[in-house]
Amino acid sequence: MNTFTSLITLLVFPAGLTLVLVGMFYEWIDRKLVARFQNRIGPRWFQPFADAVKLFAKEQIKPAIINPYLFFGLPVAALAGALTAALYVPLMGLNPASSFPGDLIVTIYLLSLPTMCVGLAGWNTSSRFSLIGATRTLTQLFAYEAPFLLAMLGPALVAGSWQINTINSYTQNHWLIFTQPVGFIVALIGLMGKLELPPFDAPEAETEIVAGALTEYSGRGLAMFKISRSVELIVGLSLVSAFYLGGLNGIPSFLLKSIALLLVMSMFQVLLTRLRIDQTVGLWWRFGAILVLAQLLVMIVWKGFAL
Amino acid sequence: MKIGTMLKDIVESFFKKNITQLYPFERTPTPQRFRGNLQYNPSACTGCCLCVKDCPSKAIELVTLDRAAKRFVLKYHMDQCVYCGQCVVNCRFKCMGMSNTDWEHASLNKEEFTVYYGKDEDIKQLLANLAQPVIGPTQK
Amino acid sequence: MNIEQVLAQAEGLLAPWNKETIRPESNRLDVVIVADDLRAAVTALHDAHWGYLSAITGMDLGTASGQLEALYHFCNGPAITSLRIRLPRGNEAILPSIADILPPASFFEREMQEMLGFKFSGLNISERLFLPDDWPENVYPMRADFTLDQAAPVAGRHADELPEQGVVGGNTFVIPIGPQHPALKEPGHFEFTVDGEIVTAARMRLGYAHRGIEKAAESRNWIQNLYLFERVCGICSHTHALAYSLGVEKLAQVEAPPRAQAIRELVAGLERVHSHLLWLGVAAHEAGFDTLFMYSWRDRETVMNLLEQITGNRVNYSANLLGGVKCDIGSEQAKAIKEGLTYLETRIRHYLEVVTTDVMFLNRTRGIGTISFAEAVKFGLLGPTARASGLVRDVRTEAPYGAYTHFPVSSVTETNGDLEARCVVRLKELLVSCFTMRTIVDNLPEGPLTTRMPRKIPAGETISRIEAPRGELFYFIKSNGGETPARVHIRTPSLCNWVSVLEKAVGRQLADVPMLIAGMDPCFSCNDRLVTVARPGSRETWSWSRLREYGIEYYKR
Repeated sequence: MNTFTSLITLLVFPAGLTLVLVGMFYEWIDRKLVARFQNRIGPRWFQPFADAVKLFAKEQIKPAIINPYLFFGLPVAALAGALTAALYVPLMGLNPASSFPGDLIVTIYLLSLPTMCVGLAGWNTSSRFSLIGATRTLTQLFAYEAPFLLAMLGPALVAGSWQINTINSYTQNHWLIFTQPVGFIVALIGLMGKLELPPFDAPEAETEIVAGALTEYSGRGLAMFKISRSVELIVGLSLVSAFYLGGLNGIPSFLLKSIALLLVMSMFQVLLTRLRIDQTVGLWWRFGAILVLAQLLVMIVWKGFAL
Repeated sequence: MKIGTMLKDIVESFFKKNITQLYPFERTPTPQRFRGNLQYNPSACTGCCLCVKDCPSKAIELVTLDRAAKRFVLKYHMDQCVYCGQCVVNCRFKCMGMSNTDWEHASLNKEEFTVYYGKDEDIKQLLANLAQPVIGPTQK
Repeated sequence: MNIEQVLAQAEGLLAPWNKETIRPESNRLDVVIVADDLRAAVTALHDAHWGYLSAITGMDLGTASGQLEALYHFCNGPAITSLRIRLPRGNEAILPSIADILPPASFFEREMQEMLGFKFSGLNISERLFLPDDWPENVYPMRADFTLDQAAPVAGRHADELPEQGVVGGNTFVIPIGPQHPALKEPGHFEFTVDGEIVTAARMRLGYAHRGIEKAAESRNWIQNLYLFERVCGICSHTHALAYSLGVEKLAQVEAPPRAQAIRELVAGLERVHSHLLWLGVAAHEAGFDTLFMYSWRDRETVMNLLEQITGNRVNYSANLLGGVKCDIGSEQAKAIKEGLTYLETRIRHYLEVVTTDVMFLNRTRGIGTISFAEAVKFGLLGPTARASGLVRDVRTEAPYGAYTHFPVSSVTETNGDLEARCVVRLKELLVSCFTMRTIVDNLPEGPLTTRMPRKIPAGETISRIEAPRGELFYFIKSNGGETPARVHIRTPSLCNWVSVLEKAVGRQLADVPMLIAGMDPCFSCNDRLVTVARPGSRETWSWSRLREYGIEYYKR
């Protein structure tokens, strides 16, 4: 595609600005759903946008003893990672902006970039709370990354390709939620772990360590971290619904499927108590990984017999 | 051992109205006994100052303009009052009461918080000669 | 054994050191001893398992008499034995510390040390507890000759300027929680030294909400003090007012009419409901279970509205008067109470089920912070925290006051002693309270609401013990016959329960710490009006190393 359309795609639609706005809109939906489940009103539709505007307008307070390049650069890197990952998924149901064999792996690694940036940022600011938060973030990264990748691997195996676009077109006709239910559950819960949603929000447990790794961030840096989180939300939802819920082939199907997934995720958020970090790791490595491995084994054997 | 024990609650709440009260657009009426602002009936007052004596926060001052003619003005500091109601209990002639509608006291300046209660002409006279008020027995 | 026999037993135990016996009230025995015999006397009572140390009161008897007095109160059911020691003012007011025999005493002793200037030999703690770091030396606020200009802050000793205490080098570092922290609803300072996620040391300071209420009480008349003490704590305000009223009524030898007593018990029951529901929400929030937090606080609104309907305010009800109550229960209120109670009972049963069956919540509460029965006795725990370990310390059943003789409640106990047991005890207590409240509403005795009280309360001393939602509340009131009290000493239940937090935090994960703090239902406002609790961080002081040894030993078993 020529430079002009690439730039538009990258900066305005469907990635870039639109993605950021839609991300914040989905964040609002999530908060509103959680509130309604708790018998409350919840925020009005413009709350996340107002938060972002307010944060951009505020002064950024830099702690004295840290490395300024890391301090100012990490939020940008996190946002960049999230936005780049969006280029390869069928965002909002439209064709991915760019596609090549093996882009599933690239996307998943790009999605872990924001988490690693948060961990590094916590280490860098070296306040007591952020150090503990950073340790927890990285520990949690080790925990859910493997099962999540394996859960994404399942559809890749049956579709016979590492390319997201190909997998998407394969799943248009095969609803993998029915043939690989374990993979779907692990993928969904893995997404919650990646986004640090309750019950996996030990890294930013407000009642224990104030705000975790991002305690010392304010102003632009905090806004960019939060936006990268919401972009990750969209990308993650697109991936999971594309792989398991029968593929995305247009904006209506995207909206329907991702909001359904968001509803289920909100219910999990509301129903479950926060897990301690050791319980999180234990849960993932004991149940998550083993279940998904078992399923993969079954699939491989099945495919072996079928061939 | 169950997981998601509050499932029924959250599903019900999803379809019910939320319980947040959109104050100040919606207000529930306060109960009858609510202890709001002090109310004073000057015609029954005899100037015994029992209310002043037992106020925990020195929120009441009784100004005597003319003891024989029973002309008193009550100077009430709304910002110091703790709304305990001891003055109401103490008064033997039932001149005090606590409103249940007047309790929203946010204000931008402090002058609003000193209120004079009494007959209109008494208050005018007091404010006119504010040089020598006679204050009832206060606490040590 | 009735009270007389119990007190005779105490008198017998203390005979070798008894200098004078006084019987100020029918359930109290005062034994005057000298300072040197204190440890022997305390050991005698302790070895015979005669009651538990409930409070230590310090009094300044005035500059004219030149003496300070310390009273050690031991409670055994309704009977109270106090050991009285008189000491000269000035630097010779030295008492032996009994904190190694009875651990809760260290808290009380530090209070007396800071507030009145007693010196305790054997208690090597130099750190301030609740007076700020820049308070001048040798200035004791509760002394009669204290004036405000003596309290000018000492330059250079402000908390920000002092070197950090309790920091252990190497791989560990200290996590401060408070005074400003989202986990704490009221300010307090905890320092946890952690190694990764495991807590290896714990230290705390209180005093951030200290308002000098006991000193303020000495310059207000008896009626004004009623409202002052109500505001010691917002959650248990009625119990403070109740304890004070009952004490003053005892001094004046006046008894409030039965209808008033019943209404007092009713309001106390409603307060217990609101307090425990609040606690449930806070504990759930600390665990990360925000849904339970939202729902329990939503249901708490029912109780708050009921209280508003009966007394006129949601917090600081001011229902009590000296001699009775202010508010009556009419048929309208009775109907509202019964409807509210029905709704609340359904919801409380639901929360009981949630708390005992929800796997995720149990992961955070079952088996965490377990305190055995022996430990509960040793550390002098009170209230639901103690009852969860099987130790029944409930003033409503042991020493019934007010209307509890006509409308009794039963104590709820559990044996596990972990956080889950504490949740269960509190919720079950609420069900018992609801049942009792219905009985009261249906059988409210007829009669007046108040009796006459004199304005000058006759001279004397009295002790008033009430079961607040957090445990036993202890009021010592002394009158010199005037319009103002001579001394009011308050010992709140949260004070005695702090040990459990620090004790149990060592060896556990940092993530459990907020739950542990929340599990004992701390009320910082109650603590700070005149009590000190501290656990110094440096390893030289005996109480810390003793505690640490205990923690390490405990986990070896």
